[in-house]
Formats: sequence, C-alpha cells, structure tokens
Amino acid sequence: MATTVPDVKSAAGLKNSSGLKNNSGRTRTAAIAKHLGLVAVLLVLLYPLVWLFATSLKPANEVLTSLKLLPSHIEWSNYTTALDGISGVSISRLLLNSLLISVGSVIGNVVSCSLAAYAFARLRFRMRGPMFGFMIATMMLPHHAVLIPQYIIFNKLGMVDTYWPLILPKFLATEAFFVFLIVQFMRGLPRELDEAARIDGCGPFRIFWSVVLPLTRPALITTAIFTFIWSWNDFFTQLIYLFDPEKFTITLALRNFVDQSSTSAYGPMFAMSVISIVPIVLFFFAFQRYLVEGMATSGLKG
Amino acid sequence: MTTTATPPPRTARATATPPEQRKRGQRGGPAYIFLTPWILGVVLLTLAPMAVSLYLSFTDYNLFDPPKWVGLRNYSDMFTADPRYWRSVGTTLLYVVVAVPLKLAIALGVALLLSNTRKAKGFYRSAFYAPSLLGASMAVALVWRALYNDGGTVDELLSSIGIHTGGWVSDPHLAVFVVALLSAWQFGAPMVIFLAGLQQIPADLYEAAALDGAGRWRRFVSVTLPMLSPVVFFNLVLETIQSFQVFTPAFAISGGNGGPADSTEFYTLYLYERGFTASHMGYASAMAWVLLLAIGAVTLVLFRTSRSWVFYANEGA
Amino acid sequence: MTPPSFRRRAVLGAAAGALVAPLLAGCSDGDGASTAAGGKVTLTFAWWGNDDRAQRTNAAVALFEKRHPNITVRTSFAGYPAYVQKLATQAAGGDLPDVAQLDYRQISQYAGSGTLLDLGPYVKNGTLQTADFDKSLTRTGVYDGKQYALPMGKGTTGIVYDATVFKKAGVATPQPGWTWDDWAEAGKKISALGMKGPNGHTYTGLSDLGVNEDAFETWLRSRGKELYASEHRLGFTTDDLTDFWTFTDRLRRAGVVSQARDTAQIGGAVEDTPMGRGIAATDFNWDAPFLGYPPLLGDQVHFAPVPTTDGKVGQYFKPTMLIGAGAGTQHPKEAAELIDFLLNDAAAGKILGVTRSTPPNEKIAESIGKTLTGPEKEVYDYGRTIAAHGTGAPPMAPPRGDVVLQVSFQRDYQRVSYGMESPRGAAEEYVAEAKRELR
Repeated sequence: MATTVPDVKSAAGLKNSSGLKNNSGRTRTAAIAKHLGLVAVLLVLLYPLVWLFATSLKPANEVLTSLKLLPSHIEWSNYTTALDGISGVSISRLLLNSLLISVGSVIGNVVSCSLAAYAFARLRFRMRGPMFGFMIATMMLPHHAVLIPQYIIFNKLGMVDTYWPLILPKFLATEAFFVFLIVQFMRGLPRELDEAARIDGCGPFRIFWSVVLPLTRPALITTAIFTFIWSWNDFFTQLIYLFDPEKFTITLALRNFVDQSSTSAYGPMFAMSVISIVPIVLFFFAFQRYLVEGMATSGLKG
Repeated sequence: MTTTATPPPRTARATATPPEQRKRGQRGGPAYIFLTPWILGVVLLTLAPMAVSLYLSFTDYNLFDPPKWVGLRNYSDMFTADPRYWRSVGTTLLYVVVAVPLKLAIALGVALLLSNTRKAKGFYRSAFYAPSLLGASMAVALVWRALYNDGGTVDELLSSIGIHTGGWVSDPHLAVFVVALLSAWQFGAPMVIFLAGLQQIPADLYEAAALDGAGRWRRFVSVTLPMLSPVVFFNLVLETIQSFQVFTPAFAISGGNGGPADSTEFYTLYLYERGFTASHMGYASAMAWVLLLAIGAVTLVLFRTSRSWVFYANEGA
Repeated sequence: MTPPSFRRRAVLGAAAGALVAPLLAGCSDGDGASTAAGGKVTLTFAWWGNDDRAQRTNAAVALFEKRHPNITVRTSFAGYPAYVQKLATQAAGGDLPDVAQLDYRQISQYAGSGTLLDLGPYVKNGTLQTADFDKSLTRTGVYDGKQYALPMGKGTTGIVYDATVFKKAGVATPQPGWTWDDWAEAGKKISALGMKGPNGHTYTGLSDLGVNEDAFETWLRSRGKELYASEHRLGFTTDDLTDFWTFTDRLRRAGVVSQARDTAQIGGAVEDTPMGRGIAATDFNWDAPFLGYPPLLGDQVHFAPVPTTDGKVGQYFKPTMLIGAGAGTQHPKEAAELIDFLLNDAAAGKILGVTRSTPPNEKIAESIGKTLTGPEKEVYDYGRTIAAHGTGAPPMAPPRGDVVLQVSFQRDYQRVSYGMESPRGAAEEYVAEAKRELR
C-alpha cells in the first residue's frame, strides 16, 4: 500500500478519503441517484440469495424441479427437520464446533501472519527474497497435490479426528495469502514512524506492538473476517480430518444431508444452509465497521 | 512529500536489497524470532508435502501401493497422449481471461461507490459481501443451476428481449460462463481489500487536486488510480493465482464431473479426478507442478509489468 | 554471518529429508484408529449414505454394543463422493476404519493393495456366517481367491416407467422378455404424442442411455459379452461400443430419447434425470433409486425388467455395496463380529430394513419382504420376479480402472450427443483410454 504522507506530524491530521465537503443541492440529487443505483445493483446481486431462502420453504417435490421463485405453499417442516440436526447430533452442537474451529483459526492467522508479515515488510535478514518468493509459490501449488502427504503427517502426529489439523496450520502462518496481504499494508506505512520510534529507543518488538500493529488494523480485521468465513466454509479439510459425528461442523453436516446415491432431503438441506450462514452474517456485520475505522480514527494520532 | 512505501515486487528482484539498506538493517536475529511460526510451518507442514508431491510426479502412485519410479512418463503422457488434458488447459485459460477482469471490475466499481457513501455504509458493505459468505455450497450450486437452466430466470429474461439461449448450464459453450459468473458474484474479498486500500489514500491529495481545478474524473485518474495501484496489483496477482486453480464453484455446479461434455473440466478439477477418482496420484502431482510453473511464469510477468503501471510514491513522486 | 546461515540451511535440509523418508514409508503402515483400554475394545465403522441410513445403522450398532458390553463402536458417515475421497486418503495414510462400507467398483483397488483384511479365516471358523447368502453374490467380495468383503445388499436394474403415459400411447405394459426393439418402439409411440414437459421441452418416450455404462453392460450381456474379459482387457470391441452409441444416437436424432441438454444434467439424483424432471416417460435405474420416482411423479410409476436381446437376459444381481475390515485393525475378531451382526442378526435386519437395498441374507430378506408396502414392496416383488425368470451370475469384480472408465463413458458419449464427435470417434477414444487404464 503506497501512501504518501507529508511527514509524521501532519499525518496526524489525516482524514478519511471520503472526498471534499460539498453541500450544494446538486450533490444531494447525485447522492440520492447513487443510492438508488446501489439498491438496484443490490437487488440483482441478492436475487440468488432470495431464491435460496425461498427454496428452503418449498415442499419436497418443488425443491429441485420448480423454476418459480415462490413455493406453492410454505413448508416449515424443512426447518424443523434441519433443526433436529443430523444422526443424533444437535444443530447447536454443529454450530458450536464450527464456531470453535473458526475462532481458533482467526486467532492463529492474525497472530502468526502479522508476525511473519512484519519480518518480511520491515526487517532485513538473509534470504528474505527467496523466502518471500517461496511463500508466494506455496499459493500456486494446488492443495490437492499435498493433501495426502499432509494427512500422513497429521496421522503420524496422532492428530487425526481432532481439531488440530484444522487450527494448527493457522498458528504456523501457512496461509500465504494473509501474510502477503498484511505485508502489502505494512509497506504502505510511513517508515518515519519506525525511525522516530527507534530514535526513542524502541526495539523491533516495541515498534511492532505499539506502532505498526495498531496501524495495520484494517488488514488485521480483513484477515480475521476472511479467515472466519473461509474456515467456516472449508468443507474439504474438515471432511478429511474429522471422523466422529460429534465433532462434525455445520458445513460438513450440510454435505451429509444429501447423498446422491440414496433418496435425500433437499428441502431440509436448503433450510440448514440458511441456518448455517446466520452466524457468519452476524460475524461479518459485527466486524465490518472496523475495516474502515482503522486508518481514519485509530489512525496516525499517536 | 516524503517517500514511504517500498514496492511489493521484492520477489522479482530476489535478494536485490540496496547496499545502504543492508548496512542499516540488522543481522536478522529479531527477524527470525518474528518468523518462527512461519518457519515452523514451512518445515513441518509445507516443505515436506511439497517435496513428496514433486517426487511423486515422477512415479506411478495409486494411493494404495508404494510409488513406482517412472521418470518423465507422467509428463510425456500429459503432453502427448491425453486429449482431455489439453481440453482442460483451454477451458481454464478461457475462464481466467473472463473471470479475473470481470470479478475485479465489479469489486473495484462497488468499492469506489461505497468509499464515498456516508449513509448506511455498514448495511451496503454487508449486503454486497453477502454472496461471498456462502462459499460454493451445494445449495448455492443448486440455485445457480436453477437460475441458468432452461426456462430459468436468466433464460426467461433473455427470451423476453428476444435472445433465446436456452439453459446455460446444459450448453457446452455457455456452461463455463455460469461458473465465471458465480465466481464474479462472490466479489466480496477483493472488494473489501479495495475498500481498505481506498481508506489509506490521504484526503489532502484530493484537496490539492481540487485546488488545481481537477474535476471528479480527473481526480479519479490522477489520484485514486495511481494511489490504489498497489492494491489493484495485489488483487490482480491473487485473483489470477486463484483463478488458475478454480475448483470449488466448478465442482459444485457440475456435480464434480466437469460437464456438460467436459466444458467445465478445469485444470484442478481434472487433477483432482486423476488423483482421487482414477487413483493416479503420480500423474496428478505432475499436473500440479506444471501448473505451479505456469502460474509462476504468469505471476512473474505480472510483477515485471507492474513496474510500468503500479505507482509507488517513493519512485514516482 | 555465513556460518550460522549455512548451518541453518543444513538443519532445514536435514529436517525436510527426515520428514520425507517416513512419509513415503508411511503408506503401507497400519496403525488403526482403534484402541484397547482395560479389556474394552473400540471399533471404528464408516459408511456413506443419507440421514435415514445413518439413523438406522446407528440404532443397529447400539444394539450390537448392548449385546457386546466390552465393545464400543465409533461410527461416522458422509455423502458418497466425499466418503470415497476420505476412504482413499485414509488408505494412503494407512488407517482405514476397522469396518467400512465399500463400493463394488473399488473392491479390486482396495483388496489388491492389501488394505483390506482377509475375512476367510473368520468365515471358516464360523464368526462370519454366509450360509443364508446367494453363493454367486458372496463371490463378488472375492479377490485373488480371498474373501475380502461381503455384500451388504443386493440390487438389480430395471426400467422405471409411467404407466399412464404408456396407456395413453397405446403401449403394452412391459413384460419380462421384452426386447430392446420393443423398448425403442414404445419410445417412438410416446414421443409421437407430442407432449411438452414443464420446461417446454418435448416429452420423449425414453431417456438417452448412451451415457450410462450400466445400461451398456446390460445391453452387452444380452448379446453374450461382458464389460471386462480380465483384469487387463475389455470384454468388447470398438465395434460393439460403436453399435451401442449409434443405436442411441439415432434414437436421439429421431427425437425418441431425451436431448443432449436434458441428458447432460444427470448428476445421479433422481430429480436430475429427464424422467424426474417430467420430460421423459421412462428411465433406466437401479431398484433402490426407483423409490425416489413415485414421490416426485405419482403412484402410476412402476418398475419393469430391462429389455433383452431376443429373450436373452442381460441384467443380474449385483451387490449394492459391500462391507470389509481394514487390514490394520487391531481387533479383527470383533470387527468380524460386527460385520456378522449387521448382516445376519434378525433384530439388526429388522432395524436396517431396506436402507441398503434388499438384504443379502435370504431369510432376513424374506421376513422383511412381508412387512413392506407401496414402492418398497414393488421393488421386493420385482426382485423375486426377475430371479424367477433367470439372471446370469454376476461378472468378476470390476478391475482397478473401472471407476474412471465409468466417468469417461458418460463424457465420451456426451460429446456424441452434442454433435461434437461421431459414435465411432468417441468409442475409439474410450477404448484407447481403457487400454491405458487397464495396463
């Protein structure tokens, strides 16, 4: 992120980029037009979600075959079936398991990726270039190719059928995407801040903790949000490593609702899909506000 | 203006750290402390599996029996004896060319609209992000199939203006676009990153431009775009890397079979099928390493060209 | 500065090397997930299937645990595609569950590589009873002379048809012995009615069976040939496949079978088939999925035998799925006891019902048969009718390459039905691939 800042002192006066203050009537009309435009675009974008919700209320024989948005009659039993959970495991258990994995992953990624990113973005060390290049390259190898060897490692470590294979990699900064993301943000911070702190006698750890980290908050929040959602939806890893249905997540249960080789319950599957996105919607809504406040408010005041 | 940002394309230049910076920098002690988790991750979870998969690419490995060394046979089979391999390469290239610009354009457009919206900002951000919350679950895939089916919403809408396409999901020429549209629809991640980038553009740059008499468009071209170019670059690189490996949306929409008539048989889908359905993990590993080299080459080209269009304050201003 | 970094590199290299070596050796290692603590035995048991199957199986397992207080069974299940991938990963990692449900198409793969336990000794010492099984069905779990698995259910194919539409078109109810020509003729008459489906497409008499390897196998057997002649050789020629695909392709061009865009949707679910979507009057399917049609289309939907070639029957009873034990299990005797209980115990049989199709144990099948109603009863009676008319013995278990060949079969024909390839061209590509897969 390349930002140019006049200097440290005047950087404190930095404002949000939302443009210039202008209260003329023309801007007001333009603003209304823009809101109308946004809502129109939203309607198109959210139509499939409306469809998904409507399908969760359709009777069994319309779920897959009907080409109409609205159900012929509302079938609440899809929800009561979904709320029963699956094969004796309650839906609250499934949601809790998902929550545990997602929260663990968020903590792991935020801590480990910001540490690694700080080293790559701000510190000089031998082999930095090749190591950074290697990290980017790990994103380019399809993960199916390393799935078996990784499974064997976790099996040797006795971690199969525990949450470790799902959470431990996050504490070891294996998701290069986030390291790269935070690196890009840290590079955008004025180096004068570090210099000033160093002159004040701060070591790299103090600089990291009290100068760089607070300023990277939008990137950290982004990391937290993406990690939460992506680990919530990460069906493949959960499938491979979890055996005991008591440990299943909501995403895994969702897949198990439908088995194409036998007669299946598609209606309840849609209902469960709706239930499963509620927590991530709430999580996103709660955290998205910090995305913006980062630079502008916590900003460069200190 | 003091210069601040270091350019990201460090990788392209590898170890080319300017000498005076090297003098200024430490010997690396603290850096390795910060890097401890990452190095542990590399040694424990990344390096060995990667080495194994490279080794397997030169073997005949069916998952059940010990791997048998076959030299370059997997590679030569892939390039000379497998028509489906080349079809998957073509399909994937088409997808990358369509999906990456489409997704980034939508994400950037929405981010720009939102960045100077003051009312109901949280609501809009959440609403625009909502499609991305779902991942490519089976329910989403079924909804998309319904929308793009014969007589589905898209067909109806197009028919009403006189365009008769029939069902996209069952047309071998159009099915790939259904996957591309699904992926573009989930543009939340690049949008959020664009938004965060827009946040960091100092307002006084706009004020200065306005004082110079620059209009809205001019401000966009001469302030927003150059200041945002490092984020555009980040998103472009990441989306390209991810699009070459497109798997989940295609797997979901075609039910895992890459149909109809192989039209959504993307590279990684075919790789997965070779490895896990056909139990030719050696062949699949070879495919994976060819893909790594291909993506690496494309990424390198992107990094190289970035010098001419990505604006770094310390070089340009 | 150089020495420490050199050392570091050496350490990294050594660590990586140390990891790679055991990784590759780990493939044949068998440390099962089961543990024994204080005389207590824990078994793991996994299967694929829907929620109903899970509930019934768990209930049966609970009964087993009650009868064997020293054994605890940990169960797990997944949908079919997910299960297959997971089991393959576990096999590669050397820790198959103690007891696992297996797909007939993959028996050769698992048995041939030593990942399955030889059940022979337990059959011999009476832990595992097979007396009430059809001998030819029991043989489907034999590989290389050893009994690696036992059938969990048996099923056969048939033609699902809409009796009301048949009557409307003046087509006689299909009887055992009807031929592929009769089948095509019925399709022509129904298609000639000119009805429309809910999506506006023409309602055809038949669904296009060119994509269906099972249908091809039945057709082939009715002409005296097999899919596979041996582990490494096809049992048919390019000409045979060209004939079959020319037959279905002509019907498609004549509008008698469903069109490419409708056939291409087949994903496995009944709801995806042309008949399930209300645009075809018949379908070819297994007896267990038949149960999915009446709820969608109504009670006028029935199940008829697969057409013959001049009276020669091609269809046969196949194990719908098998059950086996992981070679690495630490409790083979208890695993065999669990398998025996699931297959032979009368109370377990009652709980499980027909969730895995008709039970292989004839006595249990008979007692369950009496309790069935509606379509389930029809499937059961159908099985008896078919058996009475005589079916061939099941062929040898499909060879290793079969799983991928089945998928290729569907794809190669799709290219034909979209007019992108000729029947002969597609048949040649298929046979060439088969040669590579079976080598």
